[in-house]
Parts: sequence; C-alpha cells; structure tokens
Amino acid sequence: MIRHIGKGFRIFSNWMSTYENLVAVYAALGIIVAVCGILMVPMLSYHEDQLYPKTMNRASTLDPYDRGGVPFTRAEIKAQYLDNSPTAGYVTTYLTPLSWFLANTTPYIGTTIVAHPGGIIDEILYNTRGLDTVVETSILFAAFAIASFLFRRKD
Amino acid sequence: MFNLPIEGEELFALEFGDIVNYFSLYTTTLFLFATAFIIIAIIARPERQTDIVFGTDAVYTKEINQDNLRFQRFMAIACGLATLGAVSSGDLFNFSLFTALIGITNIGIVAGVNNRYVLNAAYNYGIVAMVATTFLFGGASIALGTCGTLSIWELAGKGLVPLAAKMFLVLGVMGEGMAPFYIAKAEITRAPGAPYVLMIHVSSLLIFLRVIEIILTV
Repeated sequence: MIRHIGKGFRIFSNWMSTYENLVAVYAALGIIVAVCGILMVPMLSYHEDQLYPKTMNRASTLDPYDRGGVPFTRAEIKAQYLDNSPTAGYVTTYLTPLSWFLANTTPYIGTTIVAHPGGIIDEILYNTRGLDTVVETSILFAAFAIASFLFRRKD
Repeated sequence: MFNLPIEGEELFALEFGDIVNYFSLYTTTLFLFATAFIIIAIIARPERQTDIVFGTDAVYTKEINQDNLRFQRFMAIACGLATLGAVSSGDLFNFSLFTALIGITNIGIVAGVNNRYVLNAAYNYGIVAMVATTFLFGGASIALGTCGTLSIWELAGKGLVPLAAKMFLVLGVMGEGMAPFYIAKAEITRAPGAPYVLMIHVSSLLIFLRVIEIILTV
C-alpha cells in the first residue's frame, strides 16, 4: 500500500519537475480562481461614488472616447488628492488641430483613438495619474527592446 | 494606515498626483534590498563557465558574447527599477503595472541566453506571465468597481476590497513571480551570464512580499 502511494508520488513529482507542465498547473489554478471569482460576483456591489466617473455620449463624433468639456479651456477633473494636483484640468485635451478638424468633419476619430493600444488603456486615466502612463510606455518599450533583440540576433 | 501591524512607521511619502508612493519601515526594507541587487547587477562581471574534459588535463572556458551581456545587464537593471516601483507604489493599478513590467523584463533577461532549452523555458514562462496579467488587472478593476478608488491610503484598514479581487491579485503575482521555477528547472543559473539571473529571483521574492502586505492592508 505504502509502496503504491510512494510510486504515485514519484510519478507526480516527475510530472511536476518537467517545466513544460507548469503552464498546465498555472492554468488549473487560474480556472479554480476564475470559477471562485464568478461565484463571488453576486457578493460584489458596484460603488456608486466613483472617483473617476464615466459617462457615455453616444451622439458625439468622438463617441467611445468623449470625456466631455470644451477643448483648450479648464475642465473639472476629480482627484483623490486635490492638493497634489493644483493645475488639474488646465490641459483639457490633447487633440491636435488636425484631430480636432477630423472630429468635427467625420464620426471616426473617437474609434481611431480607442484603436490605439495607449488609447484604450488611457480610458480611466486623468492628468492626476501620470505615473501610470509613464509605466505603460515603459512596458511597451521593454517589449519592443526584447522583440528587436531577438529579431536581430545572429543565431 | 501606518498604525497597522504589518506596516511599521511612516518614513516618507512621494506624491505623483493621485498616486502617492509611500515608504514605511516594511517597504523601505524591500526597497533597500532591491537597490543593493541593482548595484550588484551594475558592477558584476558575468560568470564564465569552466568545464574540465574528463580524463585529460584540458579545460575549456565558455565565451560570453558582448551583445548578449549588454542586453542582459540592461534588462536586469530595468527589472530592478520596476521592482523598486512595485515595492514603493501606493496605488493598486500602478502596482499591477509595475508587476507586469517585471514579468516582461524577466523574459528579456533569459532571452539573452543562447541555449535552446533556456529559450524554451523563457517561452513557457512568457505564456504564464501574459495570462497572469489578466488576473492582475482584473483584480485591480474589481477593486476600483467595488470601492470607487484605487489608492491604498484610502483603502487601508477598512477591509473594503472584496476577497475576489485579492485572490485575483495574488494569482496574478504568482504568475509573474513564477520565473524562478523555470530558472531552477532549465538550469539557467549555471548558464553563461549568471549574475543577472539573480535579479529574477530578487524581483519575484519582493513582489510576493509586497502583495502580501497589500492584501493584509486593504
């Protein structure tokens, strides 16, 4: 009996020590946690008083990306720590004149911005969360550095 | 926040708008540890393996390509800087971002090795690290949805963050911090260019310690 269990353990530890199988182990863990997460969804409640509120204006030409406000004027931006961002809202938008022209003449500029990798990440970002934007671009640059290194290596 | 048992005293707070990094006794320890290993990565010279040909007096040493060396050193330093960011961040989303950056630079460190089995292990780790980002950012977004804010300063000690978000965060960090398993198995520590691989171990250890602090605090 003990010999049988010991054999089972040996087979299991042999399987675990192969690093190709670790992806499967992590996937199994992920499935368990994801199922637990789905079961816990009824216990989650949406907090109405959001720090970064989001409103959708379907009629806008900037549709998924429209945050409201008028360009080149001061906008009301909610911040967690108002003391840290005394100039929040002064840079309301970074639409260039060309983008502003496209936004006024075509209905597609909003979807173009969202189609950028940075645009979709930028959805919840405000001027008060600049460090996030810096780290996101660092991730992108690190990934590019690795890809170009692997592409250019000789062997 | 700093009256909680795990944090210790407040030493310093660094403000970036809504993201306020903090240095408590706990995180400062982690920060200094990571700094020491960045300095080691900067000044260390790579290990050159020496093999003895069995039965003779012959010895051969493996040469290390200068390009690979430079790339690995750069990635090791980048990984160390990402670790510094992750251990001092005071914001859940920012912490997730820094952890994802650690995962990417870990792949970069092992990508500088020429051996086929090492690259195979890096590929496998890459799959895990990419899947883990789903859980990391899922955890941060659940926390934002149910609490309305991401700042650890606001959430500390209130117990508002649901268990699901904490589980997602821990599983995400597990995936990103899984690299040492692959290192041990693929024997990368003994491969040429060894000292830079240390940074993978250090970063995964530190993000595990930090995520434990975060889930006990929020």
